[in-house]
Amino acid sequence: MSQQILRIARPTKIELIRLRRRLRIAKRLHKVLKDRLIILTQELISLIRDAIELREEVNEYVGKCYDSLIKVLMISRFEDVLSYANSRFLRSEVVIGSRVVAGTRVPLIDLRRELRKTEFGSFVNTSLIMSSECFDELLSRVARLAEVEESVIKLGNEVARVKRRVNALENILIPRIENTIKFLEMKFEEREREDKMRLKKVKELLARRK
Amino acid sequence: MDLHNEVIERYLRDELRVVNKSLPIKRRPLNELIKEDTPYVLTRDGGIHVFRKSEIMLAYELLGDELASKLYLPIILEVRTDIESSTVLVVNDEVAAELIAKILGVNDYSLPMYIYPIQLKVLRRRIGTLIHYAFTIKLT
Repeated sequence: MSQQILRIARPTKIELIRLRRRLRIAKRLHKVLKDRLIILTQELISLIRDAIELREEVNEYVGKCYDSLIKVLMISRFEDVLSYANSRFLRSEVVIGSRVVAGTRVPLIDLRRELRKTEFGSFVNTSLIMSSECFDELLSRVARLAEVEESVIKLGNEVARVKRRVNALENILIPRIENTIKFLEMKFEEREREDKMRLKKVKELLARRK
Repeated sequence: MDLHNEVIERYLRDELRVVNKSLPIKRRPLNELIKEDTPYVLTRDGGIHVFRKSEIMLAYELLGDELASKLYLPIILEVRTDIESSTVLVVNDEVAAELIAKILGVNDYSLPMYIYPIQLKVLRRRIGTLIHYAFTIKLT
């Protein structure tokens, strides 16, 4: 914590009032930033947890899906698998937008797909359907993981930035203002004591002259 | 040294503007947003805030058709910075409070509804894009 005091032009009462006002603003600002930091940190922790979970799931799905694809390719032609994969969805799109978390813009990736309801040819078998369903799951998790990991990076940078400001207020600015206020109050008390002593001396001097 | 302090103070004061710069210009009702393919609102910093379609559907299912026209999104959670002891968020909207109560599984609540950081976790998971934080500062 800083022990320094602010440099003031003149130790006056006006300066003391101004400093008290500055201290109030600084304390209010400190509370705002601290609340923001709490919210951002909570958000960051929950996103990190999500990212770890999603990464584990993605790794698990990658193994599972490619195993099932190998099994499918053993019984089906590659062209049939490819044509099924290309025509499985009527509509498949990725919406990339942004959302705001406590003043920080983070990405939002939404995967939207509409399954084709028509019957496919005789080449479609259960293992092909199961394998494609596995890849659907994998793709949705990959999209979510991309969103979460990018959000973690952005929120992490913001947390570091806000933390620096909170620390600057907590350890430098607020203690310096408080020290200066204390210094000024002591100065005024001293001046008051000196005045009292001077008046006493003058009184004594006048009494002696009489 | 004094100039240095002035700069720090000005810099920090600008932070207050930053925290609320991304509030929406105009909130939009749920029944209007549900019809859109990509529901979004414009924000004061010139960007957009996109809502996740699945979360919009969840809110619609929980509230029903009648209340959907009364719920304006995003739900604003006011961060009360005048409460010194802890971080508290407040909801003043009646319909929004009902939705939040349903999500949190709270039966008894009154307006303003107070939300604590521990409850935020649940809200963030289920309606993360539908909520927005606003930092309020008491002037007196």
